[in-house]
Amino acid sequence: MLQALREIEGGIQLSLNVAARLPRLRRAPILDQFLRQIYFTGVTAAGGVIPRACGLGVIIIAVMMDMLDADVDLAVKILLLMVFREIGPLAAALVVILRTGTAVSAEVAMMRVTGQTRALRYLGIDLYDYIVLPRVVGCMLATLALTFYVQFIAVAGGLVLSPYIIEASFWELTNRLFELFRPVDFFYSTVKALLFGFAIAACCCWHGLNPPDLTNNAVPKVVTKAVTQSMMLVLLINAVFAYVVFGILFFGLVKANA
Amino acid sequence: MTELAVRYKRKTPRHEVQVSAPKGAVTHVHLPDEDAKAHFVTALLKARCEPGEELELFGQPAATAAAGKRDKLRGRVGAVSPIVGLMSNLNAWENIALPAAYHGSPPIPEVAQLAADVLTALGAEPNYFFARLPDELGLLDRKIAAFVRLLVAAPELLVFDALEDGLSHGECRQVARFEAEYRARHPGGTVVYVDTKEES
Repeated sequence: MLQALREIEGGIQLSLNVAARLPRLRRAPILDQFLRQIYFTGVTAAGGVIPRACGLGVIIIAVMMDMLDADVDLAVKILLLMVFREIGPLAAALVVILRTGTAVSAEVAMMRVTGQTRALRYLGIDLYDYIVLPRVVGCMLATLALTFYVQFIAVAGGLVLSPYIIEASFWELTNRLFELFRPVDFFYSTVKALLFGFAIAACCCWHGLNPPDLTNNAVPKVVTKAVTQSMMLVLLINAVFAYVVFGILFFGLVKANA
Repeated sequence: MTELAVRYKRKTPRHEVQVSAPKGAVTHVHLPDEDAKAHFVTALLKARCEPGEELELFGQPAATAAAGKRDKLRGRVGAVSPIVGLMSNLNAWENIALPAAYHGSPPIPEVAQLAADVLTALGAEPNYFFARLPDELGLLDRKIAAFVRLLVAAPELLVFDALEDGLSHGECRQVARFEAEYRARHPGGTVVYVDTKEES
């Protein structure tokens, strides 16, 4: 219980510190770390994400349409409500946790264990500036970019495949998609992706900077804890966000009654 | 009376350590064990002393110094020490330039010139050296990189912590030139060599 409270307090402090230090991103070494983070999270992950996202969209569309005996309206709703709004940001967050969350938590924990964070302090370099800020902001923007890739490709994959399963042309589906699409869908997934990226990076940095001890054995413990908590945080944010914005939980299965 | 750059005292049940280093001089300090050495170097680098320790830096007691004053004192001290290692994910040049790039001074071209001059004087080839990660460098090269990084910061008090540890005779001759390089750039600076007493 005490540990949980300590982690919550640490998370809040870390978030406030990051927010207060945003202007420092312009400093050369911090900007460099930020660009590296974007590159490793957003750019190198994209190659693997594209075929997976395409596969994801196609599988969801194929299974749901077949099971629900869908028409054009339902097919487009599945694409918008499930793939675009929920699965897209969640799939991107999963990729970020597995690729970046593990890397960030292990890297920061190693820096802590090997005394590199202490060296930074002696050089007058603030750990929040140099380690936390670029990773958190970089991870947020990279998660957003990955979410857009996944959404675009999964929806496009669904639109291309659907005519083979239901009696509707690609253009019919596309036109209906643009009719049903609302700007709130875009803002919703944008804000959610940014929050996911923030939660993942903040959680991984916090655990990396606070290992249970200063031995090499602490590193795998830190990674396990950071990844598990990041996943729980993402699911929690998703559930709370869906409930607050649309009054629905668990992908719309449970609807809130006012 | 001689002005002191450092006055340090630490009393433990096992031994008592007292160090005084006059300003502008070269002082060799031999401490009883690794623990005493780590405490001494850490106290200097943090400009802070633990219970049982007394520390004065440039005539100012560290125990009562306010946070701002302590930061300034800390900025006047630097150490080539295993305690202040290199960043493993940055190459040698990025390590050398990191503090200057972060603090905004001195300008990076000036840092590059100084680093190239010192590396050449110490017999290293700058372009080859700069591109290496710390793990690709030998112990001597890592000490050189840490020394050059420190020269850029221009500390008034330079601490060499177990400088010759792990080096061959030839390499020890190379690190012996560190002091001259520092003196050439900071004639009024204070140098403290710290080591543990050799057990016979």
